[in-house]
Amino acid sequence: MGRIVLDQVSKTFGEVEVIPPLDLTIEDGEFAVFVGPSGCGKSTLLRMIAGLEDLTSGNIAIDGADVTEVPPSKRGLAMVFQSYALYPHMTVRKNIGFPLRMEKMDQAEIDKRVEAAAQSLNLNDYLDRKPGQLSGGQRQRVAIGRAIVRDPSAFLFDEPLSNLDAALRVGMRLEISEMHERMQTTMIYVTHDQVEAMTMADKIVVLQAGVIEQVGSPLDLYHAPKNVFVAGFIGSPKMNIFSGPEAEKFGAHTVGIRPEHTDVSMTEGTWKGTVGVAEHLGSDTFVHVHDTGLADMVTIRITGDIAVKHGDTIYLTPQVDRIHKFDAQGLRIE
Amino acid sequence: MSDRKLPRLLQAPAVLMLLVWMLIPLGMTLYFSFIRYVLNSLRRPEWTTPSLSNWRGLGNYEFVLKNKDFLLAIQNSLLIVCSILFLTVILGVLIAVLINKTFPGQGIVRVLLISPFFVMPAVNAVLWINMILDPVLGLQGIAVGNINDLLDSLRSAPIIGSFFSLWPELNPISFRATQTSAYAVIIMVTWQWTPFAVLIFMTSLQSEDQQQKEAAVLDGASTWSQFRFLTLPHLGRPIAIVVMIQAIFHLSLYAEIEIVSRGNGNKNLPYLIGEFANNNIGAASATGVFAVILANIVAIFLLRMVGKTLME
Repeated sequence: MGRIVLDQVSKTFGEVEVIPPLDLTIEDGEFAVFVGPSGCGKSTLLRMIAGLEDLTSGNIAIDGADVTEVPPSKRGLAMVFQSYALYPHMTVRKNIGFPLRMEKMDQAEIDKRVEAAAQSLNLNDYLDRKPGQLSGGQRQRVAIGRAIVRDPSAFLFDEPLSNLDAALRVGMRLEISEMHERMQTTMIYVTHDQVEAMTMADKIVVLQAGVIEQVGSPLDLYHAPKNVFVAGFIGSPKMNIFSGPEAEKFGAHTVGIRPEHTDVSMTEGTWKGTVGVAEHLGSDTFVHVHDTGLADMVTIRITGDIAVKHGDTIYLTPQVDRIHKFDAQGLRIE
Repeated sequence: MSDRKLPRLLQAPAVLMLLVWMLIPLGMTLYFSFIRYVLNSLRRPEWTTPSLSNWRGLGNYEFVLKNKDFLLAIQNSLLIVCSILFLTVILGVLIAVLINKTFPGQGIVRVLLISPFFVMPAVNAVLWINMILDPVLGLQGIAVGNINDLLDSLRSAPIIGSFFSLWPELNPISFRATQTSAYAVIIMVTWQWTPFAVLIFMTSLQSEDQQQKEAAVLDGASTWSQFRFLTLPHLGRPIAIVVMIQAIFHLSLYAEIEIVSRGNGNKNLPYLIGEFANNNIGAASATGVFAVILANIVAIFLLRMVGKTLME
């Protein structure tokens, strides 16, 4: 169980309003990802849910019970920190067992639960080591172990993978997703990496300057971004966004077209441009096109390979039904 | 071969210098401890120059061991050092944790806390024994006098007077007495060295990981548990450093002992060496050798103890 409801929650530090009042509901068993550029207040929001930051106003309810004034340890939430925050003087066994020890649980029961948690995270061989003797990925696992051993109603992850190298990050991403499938526990995950958000989330919450820009499933956000910010933030490579006379041709103030929704030709098309850098990934090619008159640079994604080189002339044709239109306020026009 | 020779050759002067620095005094102490060597003797003028012909074997050691003050000096050395270590570490940790939080006037409080450490040991001793601990003119005497006056006036009050007449008259403690002079030294040195411990612990506390504490809060750890399981282990190394440095310094206390009671009832090994060195250099050297042995034993035991309990 773990349905988390934020009601008019806000936060100010001194004079600065970091989070204006916002409402948000995270359903039981949902994997919610808070995503946004750094400084958008996503970590602050998570820490407020955890109880590590006080609310300036508003209420937080978990499973219908108001927990606004409840101390962090009594909220039944477990958090995994970016720095792992393992206790350096304790062995892995003691680290994982620490929350249970604080609950004054029977030692035999603690041992049993720690063993079970370690088993599910492949940590059995490391139980008697100290955090300093582990690799980054193993430390991350210990931090997760310390969270699952409490059997919390929801997990909170604060950018847990940002200290890992790229290969490990992909691996851990899968493991956390699988853990969620297995346990079906509510998880709130904070990241600035939209790839993590897209791949893991049931529900993405896009934040900018403490304001929720859009809430929805990854594909909702991809196919129907509510405004220019979400359109530019979700999707990789970034959506090409431009305004001006070319945009007005489509009856909009601003127009966005994703790199993968543009056809290219060496001979004819809607827009003409010059090839800048072409990034050949094998499976895909990202071509950066200049001098189109739309924006400084337009990125095009082509499946497979294409024989273009720096300075070539290239013609671009948008797939008209996949164009996103926005009005002068940056809001989506259907 | 040759690429090892050069660095060694270049290191040699420093190593030699250190060896000479250490070995010559130690060697001379050992030499003097095995011969008869006094500064002034009308009866045996030949003993006033150090020479192998005055060989005494283990005689000086025997003389020192049989001296009535030797055992007292060893006991006192240990009592003083261990008490000061115990008190400064506990007070240091408590004060450091207390002032680690941000509060208004933090800077001034920290400077005031550190200032006792800048007082010279002899001045410290004079201040404490005369102005604070003196049973008549010091703060202690004045406080005890005032409390007695207050009790006196309460005794003559109606109703509650009968209750207070059961209370005894308070007597001030003379800290220059045989039984108490060691405690005076412990008090004044603790006052002086607690800031040192606070300083070291405070810097260490500032490097403590705050996310660990937040994790502990979420794990349900009380403030005490956070202190016990996170802060105290974190302070293990600085505590070992404080204990080690202070043990070295306090085994050689001298000024405080001299000023408080001139060794009356309170001698440690350095003070005993000083007394012997008034004339009997041989006995003083033998005591010095005992002091070296004691210092090593203390160092080994203290470090083992601190290491085991805190660096688990």
